[in-house]
Amino acid sequence: MAKENPAKEQAAKDKRRWRVSRRGFLIGLGVVGGGLALGWRFGLPAARLGIANGLEEGGAPGGAEVSPDLWFEVNPDNTVSLYLMKVEMGQGVHTALAQLAAEELELPFENLQVIPASTARGIEDGFGTGGSTTISSLFTPLREGAATLRLMLQAKAAEKWSVEPDNLVAMNGSFFKQANPEETMTYAEAAQGVSDWEIPKDKPELKGIREFAVIGQPMQRVDFTEKLTGRAVYGYDARVDGMLYGAVARPPRFTATLKQASEGTARAVKGVVDVVIEDDFAGVVATSRGAAYRGLEALELDWDLGETYQQADIDALTQVRPGEGVVVQKEGRVAAKLKSATSIRAEYHSPMAAHAHLEPQAALVEVRSDRVIAQVSTQSPQLVRDEIAEALKRKKEDVEVTATYLGGGFGRRLNVEVAVEAARLSQAIGKPVHIGWNRSEEFRHGYVRPPTHSVLEAALDETGKIQAIRHELASGDVAFPFLPAFLSTIFGADFGAWRGGRFHYEGIENREVLSQRVKLPLKTGWWRGLGLLANTFAIESFMDELAHASGQDALEFRLRHLSASDHNQRLKRVLESAAEAAAWGTTLAEGRAHGIACSTDTKTVCAQVAEVSIEESKVRVHKITTAIDPGLIVNPDGVKAQTQGAIVFGLSSTFFEKLTIQDSQFAPQNFDTYPLITMKETPEIEVILRQSGEEPFGMGEPPLGPVAAAVANAVFALTGQRLRSLPLTLS
Amino acid sequence: MDLKINDQFYSSQAEPSDMLLWVIRDELGLTGTKFGCGAGICGACTIHVDGVAMRSCVTPAAAAEGKAITTVEGLATTQDDSERLHPVQEAFIEAQVPQCAWCMNGQMMTALAFLQANPKPSDDEITAAMGNNYCRCGCYVRIKVAVARAAELMEQANG
Repeated sequence: MAKENPAKEQAAKDKRRWRVSRRGFLIGLGVVGGGLALGWRFGLPAARLGIANGLEEGGAPGGAEVSPDLWFEVNPDNTVSLYLMKVEMGQGVHTALAQLAAEELELPFENLQVIPASTARGIEDGFGTGGSTTISSLFTPLREGAATLRLMLQAKAAEKWSVEPDNLVAMNGSFFKQANPEETMTYAEAAQGVSDWEIPKDKPELKGIREFAVIGQPMQRVDFTEKLTGRAVYGYDARVDGMLYGAVARPPRFTATLKQASEGTARAVKGVVDVVIEDDFAGVVATSRGAAYRGLEALELDWDLGETYQQADIDALTQVRPGEGVVVQKEGRVAAKLKSATSIRAEYHSPMAAHAHLEPQAALVEVRSDRVIAQVSTQSPQLVRDEIAEALKRKKEDVEVTATYLGGGFGRRLNVEVAVEAARLSQAIGKPVHIGWNRSEEFRHGYVRPPTHSVLEAALDETGKIQAIRHELASGDVAFPFLPAFLSTIFGADFGAWRGGRFHYEGIENREVLSQRVKLPLKTGWWRGLGLLANTFAIESFMDELAHASGQDALEFRLRHLSASDHNQRLKRVLESAAEAAAWGTTLAEGRAHGIACSTDTKTVCAQVAEVSIEESKVRVHKITTAIDPGLIVNPDGVKAQTQGAIVFGLSSTFFEKLTIQDSQFAPQNFDTYPLITMKETPEIEVILRQSGEEPFGMGEPPLGPVAAAVANAVFALTGQRLRSLPLTLS
Repeated sequence: MDLKINDQFYSSQAEPSDMLLWVIRDELGLTGTKFGCGAGICGACTIHVDGVAMRSCVTPAAAAEGKAITTVEGLATTQDDSERLHPVQEAFIEAQVPQCAWCMNGQMMTALAFLQANPKPSDDEITAAMGNNYCRCGCYVRIKVAVARAAELMEQANG
């Protein structure tokens, strides 16, 4: 059941206070109708939590503020709300999280509502929503919390019936007596009028995977009715009475800084309400977006243009400098082996790319004297809170940020600029201000996927087995721009840049990967999968080159370099599953060929076989057959949807996307010069799900890995042309 | 000017040259119609004007004066106090199409106008008709399934 307008829903509950209890749990006080609110904090045992807040375990609130990271509320209509700060940006986490909770609550799935929490409650989720971690990180804690809640309700139901809790069975949101299944008590009835809640002393026993009834089922997405009727509220849709529209002056180049600004004739523009000029910032507030942008054009702005860079400068900087990288994988003795053998070497390139989420970044911010209220399309509401607090010199507690639905994230909304911009304008004029970027601002004024260069070298023995292999990669920053500088020093190499860049073939004795930082004069950063697509393209293309160079089948060649480890056996299974489904090794129709590739990301393994032909001198992909093993599968249809979507996203990069600069400015301003893939170029996609183990791994990004390499390898099989740069272009 | 949207009349302060998208979204508050590119390329802002699919980000308000505008909010109907989704919406749910869903207004409005003109389309005709609407999440495989299914549901509904 989808809750509409969660922001309003939540405002009513803002006054709630929490009592610290054992096992890190917090019991909400003052629940309407004597219901139950149960929250908890990760990584903070109750004792430490109690001390931190000057409370005894189980004590009453002593004036100290304490809030849960996430919490449940049992509602009078026997629904349960789960409040947490994980955003729904299309990846389906609100549905999968509801499955985890409903499973241990013994609640009908449709009675579980997931509601995005605002930062007003002091929730600490600095990580935000990203990195394909939502389900894997919450899999155990969320189920433990749900089971604890059920046991607390069960204890009270037993009290009301004057029986032992063990004599009750929980099913479909109600309890019944084992002895008398006719008589039932709903969870809401069990909670009714109770105020002396107790947290069970021991951790609850969780269901084994064979007992799952909701987890593992292809549940329908909970957010679709709202979204398909136009009622869902995204950041661009946020509205409040009396709001105005803002626009902010943008530098003509990414190297430019504002020297001086004056109002010019902006105030004379119809609809312009105010002009705000502070330090290096100039913006206009108006009664419509159109008027705000027309106002901007009437400002007098004097820019220092800075250095002039061209695309050739970026290309020249994005080069592996041999031997200079930070070692991020080292098994065995690579250098000695490569020196003593005849080696094979190849280089690969990937360009800059845009996130191109279809909802441009947007925020509605209302700066009041007592507090700041913001609705933002963001993957990191807490970070937005901190940034607004810093920009306005307000206390963090006085800034309340709620993440709306997101019209795509893809890493771009881990760090948004628009919320602080709207906050500055709202502060200056004392009215709520909405800013929604236009497409040109999106293309030109954010951070982008960094360009990469990979150099691979390997030596084969006389049987065609890899003796040693090395990957040197050079990439613009991915994670470093967003981390404190000292962490860059500690890490040495940017973990975002080398994501997917290590060799997962454990059967290769000598493996080495070096990652080099490329400092560019423009902003690069998070992008779906981070380095996964570029690094897998390089490694898996190279594996294909080695197989062909030694006359071996590309599938068999991969299989012979796998070990008996659990991970490598999972990889083997997905390679074999995809190959079998695609009829790898059989003769295809005239003019068609197969290519294969695989990747590992967040422990999820994925293999893909591409079937291609050449039509009118262009590569056409007919089918992608993929097998994926993300560990335990929570929602099979969700996994399938993410796999299909990530493959299409990857194909867009494989064939179309290349962001270039000219005169220190990103060249494209809209999709006419930066086209995305459409239905016309989308192939048939067959998804085979393989499941393993007892915990889920990531799903939002992993299936993006293999697709570019699978296609490039198929093109080689068909034409003999080895394409080593993205996007793929036949010569 | 007066605009007729989903069978209701709205009085707008807009200039005739203002783009319909912003009039509908910002001035009149019907935010189901989405902004994606402002250049008529991505299709997220698609609405119907007298049954014809138009990109509202490049359509001036004057072009809709005296005509019937339909937005995504006008697809579902109310019967016996409960909401009845349009067959196109039902088909998109049945095929579990969306991810972020920002483009879905445009996908559905494009599909509907197409199916009204071509009630029994072939696969290739669906691809050609839907091939100018972007979906960044990459839901194209499912959109295609849903459009074919919507054709069936619409035929059943029309009995």
